[in-house]
Amino acid sequence: MSQPLWVQMLLQFLAAMVATIGFGLTFEVPSRHFVACGITGALGWVVYSLCVTLWGLSAPMATLVATLPLTAAARFYSIRHKAPITLFLLSGIFPLVPGAGIYYTAYYLLQGNRVQCTNKGVETLKIALALALGIALVCSLPLPGQPHRKN
Amino acid sequence: MTEHEFHRAMHLVMEAGTLLLESGGEVFRAQDTMEIMAHSLGIGDFHVYVLTNGIFASAMRGSVSEVRHIPRISIDLGRVEMVNAISRRLATGELDLAGAECALAEARHHRVYGPRRHLLAASIGSACFAYLFGGGPLEVAVAFVAGSAETLTCQWFARHHISRIFTDIVAAAIGTALAIMARWYLWPKLDVGTASIGALMVLTPGVALTMGIRDIINADYLSGAIRMLGAVLVAGCLAAGVGITWMIAHDFMGVWI
Repeated sequence: MSQPLWVQMLLQFLAAMVATIGFGLTFEVPSRHFVACGITGALGWVVYSLCVTLWGLSAPMATLVATLPLTAAARFYSIRHKAPITLFLLSGIFPLVPGAGIYYTAYYLLQGNRVQCTNKGVETLKIALALALGIALVCSLPLPGQPHRKN
Repeated sequence: MTEHEFHRAMHLVMEAGTLLLESGGEVFRAQDTMEIMAHSLGIGDFHVYVLTNGIFASAMRGSVSEVRHIPRISIDLGRVEMVNAISRRLATGELDLAGAECALAEARHHRVYGPRRHLLAASIGSACFAYLFGGGPLEVAVAFVAGSAETLTCQWFARHHISRIFTDIVAAAIGTALAIMARWYLWPKLDVGTASIGALMVLTPGVALTMGIRDIINADYLSGAIRMLGAVLVAGCLAAGVGITWMIAHDFMGVWI
């Protein structure tokens, strides 16, 4: 691509925002939370994409790194909007869900390409684990001011 | 509190829990909310155990017990927020029993967007994902069409109460088939992978995965495991759908494209 990096990232941010809001709408998220959901999802995606393109991290590692700010943003908005964190987390996580992994695992399985199939299958699992770990890490951090309140 | 009031309060608490689970609230949220509501309404000796698809509760030293079965979940996060707000307002004393009943009835009928907007939103979402995964205008357009086809399939199957497993296989197969056909008949340069993955995002088990994680973090291991199993199952179904289509396409065209 010939555009400078910041233009690319801005476009990606906007596309990820629209995608997240679109999926949030199918989950009946009230419209006053749309922007917050969009930012949560787009933040995760842009961090992921920066990790992969700039620093050359592997997909599972990049997913783990991206999940941290994403979950933090979801927590931030849940406190600010006084709404359950689920609203922001469920919609925001979608860009990082390994849809591509599922697809290519099936594709290579059918082609009889066992090496690629195993690679993709294991990578999909790793991405799912990275998501789990990232969410768990940020959600379990206790925050001052809300000692036992679960969001 | 009269006996009549007690039963109304108990009914209210059970309804709130059922609504939360049905709309995609986590297990601990249902449990917490029900306990808070019971406490604010003055139901004595209230105990509740919640699973992904069931609620067991008792009150008054076990003299009253209720069980609810929640076989179907349809995500409605707006409703989760509304029920959450009701329990908070009950706890602060802003709502009384009658007010909470009204608010809960309102939450039950909450459906803002309707199937058409869902369809449009899911299609636009698929198109954006195709762009994010590196697709050009062609892939984006195909993902839009394939995504709407998948959503339509899901909506139509859900109306006829066809099982989720079968729905996912068929929808994934249709989406992939559309992308392959677009390449075979229309645009030989189309990247089938990017286009079909964009559309596939509609079906991915992101919700089940995230909720499973949330349940497990909160030490509801059984419920978390049930949801994780669901996520793995859906992923397997998607893979099966994609695989079936590719197999047919391969036999039909004689080459891997």
